[in-house]
Amino acid sequence: MKLTPQEKATLDLFLPGTISKDGFLGDDSRHVHDIVQMDQRELTRLGIDQKDIADRMSHFIEAGKKGLETTVDLGDFTVQVQWQRGLILCPFGEKRRVPKLIAIVCNKKREQCIRYSQLNEHMIREHGFFEGSGSTFRLNPAELVQILEIQSSS
Amino acid sequence: MTVLILKTIFLITAINGVLAVLLVIAERYLANYGECKIQINDQKEIQVNGGTSLLSALSSQKIFLPSACGGRGTCAYCKCKVQNGAGPLLPTEVPFLTQTEIESQIRLSCQVKVKQDLQISIPEALFAIQKFDSEIELIQDLTYDIKLIRLKLLEPDHIQFKAGQYVQLVSQPYGKVKGSVQRAYSIASPTYETGIVDLMIRLVPEGICTTWVHEVLKEKDHVQIIGPMGDFKMHEGEGEIIMVAGGSGMAPMVSLLSDILCKSGQRKITYFFGAVTKRDLFFLDEMAEFERKIPNFTFVPALSDPQPDDGWKGTTGLITVPLANYLSSIQTDKAQGYLCGSPGMIHACISVMKEKGMPGDQIFFDPFG
Amino acid sequence: MEGLSPWVLFFAAIFTGNILLTYFLGMCSFLSVSKQLKTAFGLGLAVTFVLTITAALNWLVYWYLLDPLGLEYLRYIVFIVVIAASVQLLEMFIERYSESLYINLGIFLPLITVNCAILGVSLFMVIRKYTFIQSVAFGVGSGIGWLIAIVAMAGIRERINEKKIPAALQGPGIALIISGIMAMAFIGFSGMVQIQ
Repeated sequence: MKLTPQEKATLDLFLPGTISKDGFLGDDSRHVHDIVQMDQRELTRLGIDQKDIADRMSHFIEAGKKGLETTVDLGDFTVQVQWQRGLILCPFGEKRRVPKLIAIVCNKKREQCIRYSQLNEHMIREHGFFEGSGSTFRLNPAELVQILEIQSSS
Repeated sequence: MTVLILKTIFLITAINGVLAVLLVIAERYLANYGECKIQINDQKEIQVNGGTSLLSALSSQKIFLPSACGGRGTCAYCKCKVQNGAGPLLPTEVPFLTQTEIESQIRLSCQVKVKQDLQISIPEALFAIQKFDSEIELIQDLTYDIKLIRLKLLEPDHIQFKAGQYVQLVSQPYGKVKGSVQRAYSIASPTYETGIVDLMIRLVPEGICTTWVHEVLKEKDHVQIIGPMGDFKMHEGEGEIIMVAGGSGMAPMVSLLSDILCKSGQRKITYFFGAVTKRDLFFLDEMAEFERKIPNFTFVPALSDPQPDDGWKGTTGLITVPLANYLSSIQTDKAQGYLCGSPGMIHACISVMKEKGMPGDQIFFDPFG
Repeated sequence: MEGLSPWVLFFAAIFTGNILLTYFLGMCSFLSVSKQLKTAFGLGLAVTFVLTITAALNWLVYWYLLDPLGLEYLRYIVFIVVIAASVQLLEMFIERYSESLYINLGIFLPLITVNCAILGVSLFMVIRKYTFIQSVAFGVGSGIGWLIAIVAMAGIRERINEKKIPAALQGPGIALIISGIMAMAFIGFSGMVQIQ
């Protein structure tokens, strides 16, 4: 399908070097909508809503912020947040700009850690987008649910 | 047969000739916008060639609006008010403008095309902004993730700025990054050193510009900066000065301190610097030097999570703790706060300062956050 | 063809002989620009405009240059050149006077040049030996017919975006099925008048 310049400009935002260094698609050649749809199917299989995931992610971000870059102990979890100056644009082309913030959450029982950004949280909540496979900040829904011990709210 | 071929040649030539002439005439009258006048703030007037974007038309006349994305319409820093002549709002601008901005005629200058005479308003301070060609004189590791880069200005060869201001560094394409971006970094060099600009740049994971600085840039490379910008600066006052910084937030503080050193005022200054472990600390010698030279200046580095082999004997805890303790011991109603660093730290420290009675309008911090 | 009134021809070109849904000409832009109602409408207008202008110009060129000189065989190449030039003109015109339409249409403006609906109309009118007035009516009618078809399509596709579509049929797949159904619906008009 050919794209109008406007659609192309929006898609360009997902590519390396426009918003983030390596882009949001990794080596995934699928269209953004297809990536979203595949992950949506995975979520349905897991019985989890994207909002549940985003809520849990922002819960850890908020807890981690208080540590001012040190590791915060939350009992079963530890979280460390790095917050850089500046805002990063959401590639979905709405006016949202998100703080440049990265959280590393570790699950002590499972001895597993996961790293995600505030932009990840925003894109999952608003667009159901977990990034393309091979992308630096790609999050696997199943892994997220496991490590963050996410339960369905409904 | 020959007649047919001749007729064909004649006809094709005639039709193509007529159409070509028509197109040339149209090009001449439709696609040529001629010289357009841009009237700025009702006082300055510049002449530009029509047909380009307002942003590049202004920069061709050495007026630089902030822009981080290089005119691609993704950063929205280049907003300015266009009273007249911009034409209707474009679909590429709409996502970046709020309703109030649309009502007050704010436009994205990288999307507005100059097609006729324009009337625009921009802040006065923007007239002082210049684009500098410079050469990297020195790249130095301050910590494992912060580098100091020193730029030797070539053209123009000197800069005038106020301590605390920042410049935009223009990145160049590398690796998968095909375009150029601009990012703001505070100037760390003193104001009297007009031939050089020092920047302290912390590696942001996945950052386009910081990765370029940390992994690609070499000494002797040529880079461009645009500045100075920003209104983070020393303010008049009598009370004590409380500085708080972390990471690359050190940069504007060094510049401010160099300025204070020259003016030899008598105000008491306490500078809290927050870091996690000892490997995040830097510039300790320079700070000791300032402590010797500036009367009443104290540097308080605090480690929030010192490692056993750091052998740390100084202040321990989140930066908010020593700050709160200190503020409890002094008179805070005239004190001034200057902050620079990660937004989390700035927010936390501002609430401590307000809690301890410092007036909110006397707390200054770097805007980009 | 002498007998057909321009009015009849005009309506026939819109409904019974819709250039898009009956002859399936101009499919490329029909499929790719029908995602948004506004853009589709803009392109529809541009096509209508170009169709009218080129129908008139090509009629003059054909009957006053090609036919008298006995060079009818050149009509394909000459028509294309005339169409290309008028699209160029139109593009400059739109860029100057409606930036937002220009951004929305972008690459599709030059693409109108190779939109076969445009060449199709010019060829039909000489093959069917229309008069000048008839040709213009036929041009405007075909343009409006194309516009109606693409706008209807865009409307349907905007709605369909919210519905669940099997993955294999998404995008062009479902669009082709929809246009097939639309074409069948347009057969319903064919009893009204026949042009051939």
